Order: sequence, then C-alpha cells, then structure tokens
Amino acid sequence: MAVVVIMPKQGQSVESCIITEWNKNKGDQVKKGEILFAYETDKASFEEEASADGVLLAVFYNTGDEVPVLTNVCVIGEPGESTDAFAPSGSSSVKTEAPEVTATSTKEEVPAEIVATESSNSSSSEAVSPRARILADEEGINLNSVRGSGPNGRIIEQDIQAILAKQPKSTPLAKKKAGQEHLQGSTIGSGLGGSITSKDLTQQNQVSGTDFEIKKLSNIRKLIAKAMHQSLQNSAQLTHHLGADARRMLEWRRKIKKATDGGYPVNITINDMVCYSVIKALKQYPQVNAHFLGDSVKYFNNISLGIAVDTDRGLMVPAIRNAGNLTIQELSNNMRDIAAACRKGAIDPELLSSEAASFTVSNLGNYGVEMFTPVINLPQVGILGVNTIVPRPKDLGDGAYGFVPYIGLSLTYDHQALDGGEATRFLKQIATEIENLDFEL
Amino acid sequence: MPKVQFIDPSLARKASEITFKPIPVNQYAKTIAQEKDNFSNDDLVRIYHDMVVIREFETMLNLIKTTGEYSGVPYDHPGPAHLSAGQEAAAVGMAYLLDVEDFIFGSHRSHGEILAKGLSAIQKLSDADLMQIMETFFNGTVLNVVKKDFKGTTKELGRRFLIYGTLAEIFARETGFNKGLGGSMHAFFTPFGVYPNNAIVGGSGDISVGAALYKKVNRKPGMVVANIGDASMACGPVWEGLSFASMDQFNELWEGDMKGGLPVIFNVMNNQYGMGGQTCGETMGFGKVARIGAGVNPDQMHAERVDGYNPLAVIDAYRRKRKLIEEKKGPILLEVLTYRYSGHSPSDASSYRSKEEIEAWQAQDSIATFGHNIVAEKITTQQELDSIWAGIKEIMVEMLKLSINDEVSPRMDIKQRPEQIGEMIFSNQSVDKMDDRVPEVNHPMEENPRVIQISKKERFAFDAEGKPFSKMKQYQLRDGIFDAIVDRFYKDPTLIAYGEENRDWGGAFAVYRGLTEALPYNRLFNSPISEASIIGTAIGYAMCGGRVIPEIMYCDFLGRCGDEVFNQLPKWQAMSGNMLKMPVVMRVSVGSKYGAQHSQDWTSLVAHIPGLKVVFPVTPYDAKGLMNSALQGTDPVIFFESQRVYDIGEQFHKVGVPEGYYEIPFGESDIKKEGKDITILTIGATLYRALDAAKILEEKYNMSAEVIDARSLVPFNYEQVIASVKKTGRIIISGDATSRGSFLNELARNITELAFDYLDAPPVVVGSRNWITPAYELEEAFFPQPDWFIDAIHEKIVPLKGHISNQNFSDSEQIRRAKLGV
Repeated sequence: MAVVVIMPKQGQSVESCIITEWNKNKGDQVKKGEILFAYETDKASFEEEASADGVLLAVFYNTGDEVPVLTNVCVIGEPGESTDAFAPSGSSSVKTEAPEVTATSTKEEVPAEIVATESSNSSSSEAVSPRARILADEEGINLNSVRGSGPNGRIIEQDIQAILAKQPKSTPLAKKKAGQEHLQGSTIGSGLGGSITSKDLTQQNQVSGTDFEIKKLSNIRKLIAKAMHQSLQNSAQLTHHLGADARRMLEWRRKIKKATDGGYPVNITINDMVCYSVIKALKQYPQVNAHFLGDSVKYFNNISLGIAVDTDRGLMVPAIRNAGNLTIQELSNNMRDIAAACRKGAIDPELLSSEAASFTVSNLGNYGVEMFTPVINLPQVGILGVNTIVPRPKDLGDGAYGFVPYIGLSLTYDHQALDGGEATRFLKQIATEIENLDFEL
Repeated sequence: MPKVQFIDPSLARKASEITFKPIPVNQYAKTIAQEKDNFSNDDLVRIYHDMVVIREFETMLNLIKTTGEYSGVPYDHPGPAHLSAGQEAAAVGMAYLLDVEDFIFGSHRSHGEILAKGLSAIQKLSDADLMQIMETFFNGTVLNVVKKDFKGTTKELGRRFLIYGTLAEIFARETGFNKGLGGSMHAFFTPFGVYPNNAIVGGSGDISVGAALYKKVNRKPGMVVANIGDASMACGPVWEGLSFASMDQFNELWEGDMKGGLPVIFNVMNNQYGMGGQTCGETMGFGKVARIGAGVNPDQMHAERVDGYNPLAVIDAYRRKRKLIEEKKGPILLEVLTYRYSGHSPSDASSYRSKEEIEAWQAQDSIATFGHNIVAEKITTQQELDSIWAGIKEIMVEMLKLSINDEVSPRMDIKQRPEQIGEMIFSNQSVDKMDDRVPEVNHPMEENPRVIQISKKERFAFDAEGKPFSKMKQYQLRDGIFDAIVDRFYKDPTLIAYGEENRDWGGAFAVYRGLTEALPYNRLFNSPISEASIIGTAIGYAMCGGRVIPEIMYCDFLGRCGDEVFNQLPKWQAMSGNMLKMPVVMRVSVGSKYGAQHSQDWTSLVAHIPGLKVVFPVTPYDAKGLMNSALQGTDPVIFFESQRVYDIGEQFHKVGVPEGYYEIPFGESDIKKEGKDITILTIGATLYRALDAAKILEEKYNMSAEVIDARSLVPFNYEQVIASVKKTGRIIISGDATSRGSFLNELARNITELAFDYLDAPPVVVGSRNWITPAYELEEAFFPQPDWFIDAIHEKIVPLKGHISNQNFSDSEQIRRAKLGV
C-alpha cells in the first residue's frame, strides 16, 4: 500500500515551504525514520522523515521548489504500484499562478460630487472650516450665500470650489491683486475665455483705510431710510416721463413778475403753477388721489398734497391740507409758509406723516435735473417728479419747426394700484392743465 | 533549549535532596596586630582618614539641612540629602581594595561610596594619571575651581577635587561632576570608577550586572560592585539581576576564555531599614540578607555576612571575594552589616526606632572604635587623629564656601542658553563601532546560511508585470532587520544581542535565524524570561561603552521592564551631563491575534518619555534603513516591529531593498502613496489597512488619498505632513494603539496647530477602541479597519454619496464613550 508524504504545515501562518535538499532519489529504498528531504519556512528549517519502509516511488517536487503546505510531495510504496492518483495539480511541471494584481487604470479626473448628509440639511449651523473661510476670503466670496455640505452643515472647501467653478476664472495676477487690495471682478472678464484680468477689478469698498469717521444716524435720517427702503421693497414702482409745453406757464410767470414788481402780494412760482395743475388733474383722476392698502384702496374726497422740501436736516414732505379748495394764491402762500416752517423745524409733525398726504410732488427743476425716478411715499399710489425746463424742437405747423420750452414730468406710480394706461392718462392730464393754465390775478 | 544539553528523565526524576553549605556570619576575628602584614601604618591611618571624610561630609550636609549652616557658613539646600553617617566603615572597607578600573554602582544613599571609591582611586592613580583625569574632565572646569591658590600635592588636590565635585553636584552647580543634572541621589564620576548611583531602590541591581557583562564580553579588566540596600532585596529587578548574573550558560555553554561567571559583587549595605521599614523582623523574611545566596545557585553566590562596623572585616572579605572573581566564580553576594545614624532623610523623625537603639550603635561607632584600636596598637596617636579630623573639617569648610559661591560655582545659565538641557537629552552621534578590535565571529559573513538564503530573494515584491512574487521568495521585513544587524555584528566588536529565544530558535519571529551560526555565545545568547534584567543589563552594558540589542518579545511585556525603560534607559545620558552614551537598540515586537496581553501597541507609552528615540518601520526597506541608523547612533532607540508584517515584501521602493548599507534618518515620514483629496498618516502596520481604504476611496468615491507612513514617533519632522495637509486640507491619523492618550492625538494636536488655516475639517484620529484586545476572530471590532477610514471621512470630514457607515464616529458617540471611559 503506497504511503503519500505531504508537506507538513509548520505553524498557523505558514502557507508554503521550500524544499532545500533531497536526501533520497526516486527509486531509492527508504527505511522508516530516514530523512527524505529538508525544507524551510521563512522562519526555520525542518527535515521530513520517512513514515514507512519501501521504495521512493514518486517525487513531485524538486530542490528549490516552493510547495504549498499539505500538498503531496512524494510517495513510498512497493515497486510497481501506481502513484498517478497522488500527483498534485501544482507540482513542478505545473506552475502555480500567482494571484493577479489589477493594474490601476488611469481614471478621468471627475470632481467628486458634493453630497449633503441628512444632518447637514436640517442643521442651521454656521460653522466654516478654516480652509473654506480663507479660500472664500481670497476669492471674495460672501459666506452668507454659501450652503455648507460638510458634517452638520459645516461650510467646507468644496462648497467654495463649487461656487468658484461657476464663476469665470481669474488670472493669477488678478487673484493676487484682488486678495491684497480687496477688489472684486466683474462677472465676465476681458481676458482669454472671459477670464478676469487685473484690469477688470473694481473697488469692493472704496472707503478703506483709516481716513473716515463713523456717525450715528439722526432720527429723521433713520425714518427716511426706513421709509424709502420700505417703499422700494413693498410696492411695484415704475416711472413714466412726459414733457409739457411750458410757454403758457412762462408767460404767466412774466405777468406775475411784472405784477409783483408793481406791488402784487403773491409771488406765484412755476412750482405753484405745476402743483395747481396737479390738483386740477387729481380731481379728474380720483384713483391717483388714494392710498393703496394691500387688499383695499382708500380714495380721498379732498386733496392733501405732499410737497418735498429739502432742509438741512433732510428731506421733509409736509402735506397741504384741503388743497382742492384753494385758489392758486392761497396755495402759493400755504406752500411758502409750510416750507419755511419745515426749514425752521417748526412744522406740525402730523403733516409730515406719509399718510397725511394723498399725493406728492417733488420738484428738482431748480437744480437742473432733467429726469428722475422719485420714490413713492407709501401708502400713496403716486408721486410726481418735476424737472427743469428745456427747449425742445416742436412742429409749429406748416412744416415749420421751432424750439419750445418744455417742462419734464416724471410720474412714479405703484403698479399694484394703477395700470400704465391710467397713469399715463393722468400724467397727460397734468401736462394739459399746465399747457392750458388759467387763473385770475 | 540547546540540543547539546540532554535532559534525561531518569536523572531528573530520581529521588535526592538539595543541600546547603553553611553561610558565614561575622566570622572575621582578627586583631590589628594580626593584620600588620596586610596594612602599613599609613594604610591604617588612611582608612581612618577616609572614614572621617565621609562622616564630616555627611555631618556638614545634615547641619545644612537641619540648621541652615555649617561652621558658621549659612546655606539653604532645598534638594534631597539621604545621608549615610554611621556607614563609613562599610563604604571604605568596600572601596579600599578596588582598583580604578573596578566599577561601583550605588543607591540614593551613596555619598559615602562615591567618596570612599574616589579616595581609593586617588590613592592608586599615579600623580600624572590623576592630573590628566582632572585636567581633561569637562576641560578642567572642576579642577580650575579647586586648584586656584592651592599649593599642596597632586593627591591633596585630588581629594579637594573629589569633595568639591560631589558637593557642587549635590548643590546642582554646573561645576559639579554631572553639571548639576544628577544631584545628590545620582552623582557619579566614572574616571574614578564611580558609576551611576540610582534613586530608584534596587535600580543598580540589574544595571550593574550589565556592566559586569560588558567587562566579561569585551575582556576589560576589573569587576563590578553593586551597592544596594537591604530593602532592595525585595525588588523584582534585583532578583532578575541575580538570576541573569547566575545563568548556568556562563559556565556550561560559553566557550574558551569566556567560560566562567560574571565579575560582579552584589554588595548589600544592610543598614537594617528600608526608609522606616525594618527588613529583619518586619518587612522581609530572610533574617539575614546572606541567606538569599543559597537560593540563587549551587555556589550560594559565595554569600556571607560581614561586620560592616569594622573596616578591616570588610576589606578582608573583599580580599577573599576578589580572588573568587578572578577565578571567574562570580556572582557574589556580600551582606555588609551597618547602621545609619541619621534618618532616611532630614525630614525623618525616626519614629520607627528607639533612641536607645541609635545610642547603642553609636556607642560602638566604627570610626571611634577603629581610632581607639589603632592608637592602642601605637600605629598613631590621638593627637594625630584629631589633627586629621581638624584638617578635614577645614577642607570641608573651604569646599563648601567654593561650592555655594555663585561666581565660581554657577548653576547652568538657563536664561542665557535656554536649550542647554534639551541639547543633552540625546547625544546624536554617528559611530561605526564602539571599540577597535576585530569582531568575534564564527565564519565570514558571505558563508552564513541566512545571508546566502536572503541573497536569492526578490528584493521588490512585484515582478515586471506587477504580479507579486510568492511570499517565500520575497525579501521580507524580517530579512531587512537581519541584514542591518548582521552587518553591524561584523563591524562593531562590542555589539551583542540577547533576549528570550534569541539563540538557536533565532527569535520567536525568526529575525535572528542564521545569527546563531555566525556568532559565539558571548555575542548572542538567551536570557531568562525576565524583561527587567534584559533591559537593565543592556543599560549597564551600554553605559560602560558597548553597543547592545536587547529584545522584548511582545510589546505587552514592556510593563515588566517599566523602570528600566521609563527611568533608566532614557535618563542617564542627560543625567550624566552627557558623559555617558546609551547605544541601546531595544527591539520590541507588537503582536496581534493573541488577545489582551499579547496584542497591544504601546508606542505611545515610550514616546511619552523624554530621552528615547522611537521608530516603527513596516516595510523591509524602512526596517533595514532605520535599523542601520539605530545601530550607527549612540542613543537609546525603541525599535518597534509588527508581527503582522514580518513576512511582508517591499511594495514601495521600486528598485528593491538595496544590498549595501544605507541609513534612513530618524524623524522623517514617508509618502507611500500620493494623493490630493485627503491625507492619511499612519503609525505601524495600520499603513496597509490605510492603503486598502485609499483604494476604496479611489474606486467608489473618486477621492484620492495621500498615505503617509510616520515611520518615526520620536523625533518627528512635521514638515512633510503639513505640506500634505496644506494640499488636501483633510487628515486622518491612524494606528493600532488604543486611541485614548495615544501618540495619534499628539500628532493630531500638532497638525491642528501647525496647519489650522489649511484644515477643512478637524484632524480625525482613528485608533483602536479603548477596550481589551479581543480574540483574533473579533479583532475587526477593535483595530482600525479599512472601512473605518471611510466611515470617519463620511461622518467627520466630508459626506460621501451613498455611503452608509458601520462605525459610529458622531460627536454624540464620542462624548458617550468618553463619559463611560471606553
């Protein structure tokens, strides 16, 4: 009966051994206890003894071969016995395959997708990693507008990089200059492929250095600031511009000048005449003489005209009550008195409330302003800006053209309350009133 | 272990009994008249003189501590003073016959031994040699102080030098024997054969054995005396020193002139108390220390008790013991009976002993008795003795004044040179060999079977197609360590290596396979399984001038040599004022698979201790290069190896591990894989799991990781890591140490500080759990695994699309675990 000799397992971690020497050859007689071959692990050397008497019938591995443990190495038996059944598959003739190592293929560079964890969605953390903070600073990115994708919503570098990826690239010089001088680039640069160059940089904050002082706002300034800001935020304002032939008004003005020189008590100004015309137009367009209250509109039976007055302490808009009942002389006197009261600070605060007036006129004509977009005093639905008088070419009939003085009118209205047609018709009506102005001296 | 020693069961099992020889106790009975052949009159007077020097020195310190002045010279000494008044005859008797090249080691109470051995050496040195020692020691700094305006003889100058150098050291002056860095409990002066005294009880018990080993292995003249106290006989390291010193192999296996015992005397100064504990009657059971010798070896260590109150009795014992040492019959145990008058320290109220007892011993005072006897024998007169004492008092006053004078005896100027102590922590030298002899080997290196075997191996793990060679054919990490060590064995004749199963077996992890064939026993041998003696003797061996590789088989056994690794190995270079070098490369193997007491990574423990260099290579290239650096240096290196990777081939250094000599500098980390999105810094074999994690990151999450192997812990250069973090903004620091208090946190803290502005997330530490190491089958729950890295990134650094974590790295979990202490 053939006895097979296996490579012993010398220790838990040993997977294979190397045969260092054969003491017997194939065909040799062997006795139990004789040494067949020597082998070694990476730690030590061993010798394998024959476990039976007989002939060494088969040798499957040669000196120097590495043999997996528990593999058949040789067979001892009686001459003539078959050993084929014992031949291991990986003996000398058959090479053992070394495990394959997958070659690392070069991958295309794809930026990792930004993933937000659940916690980052729900968290309102304002944490910013130092790296992200500095990058944002260098690139002039406002962190308030960045949503963090890091753990617990922390803003991390990739969040800033994502924003940068959407912006045009900057040249290195532009980046450096922007960082050092606190400049920022326009959205599209003038460099290659729209990149921002140092020339495209603008001052982020022109007031820099230490040459400034900080003053608290006066109360009136605070009120104006709040009212103006709220006005623009809370209404749908737009402005129409239109000119009115001013020849008749200027003619009246000459007459009045002459009359006052002769002792006439009331010096009626162009502004008085414009306001008088506005009052007349308002009577025909009650929907402009109103307050817009969101879900309702308040229409006024009388007219309370707000007039913008420039004072040392800021803009004031006192109201002329019952303006619809006044003669132009009364209106003129009233306006003069009230403006004086404003400048002296003696005005009744009641009259300054934006709710005290039903419509407002702001005249910048004296300063030569040709066109502007006045801001509505909410909840009023409109405001008229009065501009300077400029000569304009006009068809005088029969193919003749001449220069005619025109006064510019800029009506800002709240589109929530009025439509463009109504507003335009109202503005046109003011022009008509100006062009057909009439009153008694 | 050795095959030549056959353990015959028939003999081993035979009935018999162990017998003991009587142990002599105070057998000396000679009179001075009977000793006249051995001592001249001058010799006897000198014995008296030397005892008085010690008495007066200790009296001076006692008065300074208790009254703030000595002979009208006021001084405040806030440091320790463990005094030995009463023990003078024991010290002088011990030192009297010793030659200059005989070394003594001591304890915290060793002023007397320093002075006795110093005075003995001064007596034996020629004037020229003495002068040369004094002139060259710290470039004459100490000598210059005592020779100013001094007109006496060279020997008198030598005595001033000795007293001043010791006193200035006690007072922490830069002009002291150890620049003031040793102090009262550690002062020493090697040119006179006075080796370190040790403030840890029994500390010299194993270190001195290493010194004796040095003398034996390197054929240096002289013997070694370990002066330890009676109470130290309970200390484990002392027993380990005894066991190591009495190994059979010195007589049974070591060959030629190396055959024979170690030249060491354990000189137990039995002053009857360990602090306040009375060793005879209270805290020990030996009755007399000499009894212990009977339990150690068949020679009973030639143990005896001698009367340490009579200097001539002690000298007589040394005359007999010295002969035994010369006949290579060491080790020897000598109990020298004595008594200390002062307390353990000046704050000791002696509440544990009676006034009567102290007075009874004082009534038999050794100095008074000896003085009386030599006057009675007409060797000298009382007047002469009185004038000797007066002269010594005068010198003491003068040396005290010098040593407390801030101008001639300044302290180290830490303000002027704030890094002065730091500069002494390491010696940082590069030395091929510690001695010039031809190294003793058994055959040329190229004939060594292991060297031949390694030469056939593949020095890079992969073939040209990138397929790995089989493990057996790869040049493994253990081969890299072997390469460097065998090379040094053929270069440095002083190099020796030992530990458990180092010879024959070749080390439990086969690193030393082949070394047994190359080296004689005296260069490679097996130690007892006693780690304190393995490291303690290595310290003594290196301290005397040899290079040594002690091995600790499992990192977990570090605790067994805690004092040696924490208190001795790291301290002596700086505590000697850089007089001593410590070229000890301590190999420590970190286990796995073997559960709670065989699988721990304790790199952090040693990294915490100043004065140790700590490296942990995990590739064959790094292991060879760092071992070369360790063996070329002069500093203690704790060289960690991982049992996970002894068989790993070189996967990174593409040209393969060089066959020639090369060094990898300590402190430099190595980038094993470049990347740009995240840095992973690892200590130890965790590297390979980090690389697996890097692969997952690349394949599944399109994230490229840069993997850096720290390689060294102490020293550590942060520059490369910081540069990487500047690039990636993110870092994980990982190792197999349990994470609480580990060096991983030290790295994380420094990286946070040094790269704060570049960080996109806090550095994350991925260490092992703060548990016991479980069984191999459960290790995945304990040691960092590749998926832990992914989980840590997902939860702490940047969320990864579609990733579901298995490990909980959340803040709340971190707090919960800390709260529970796990």
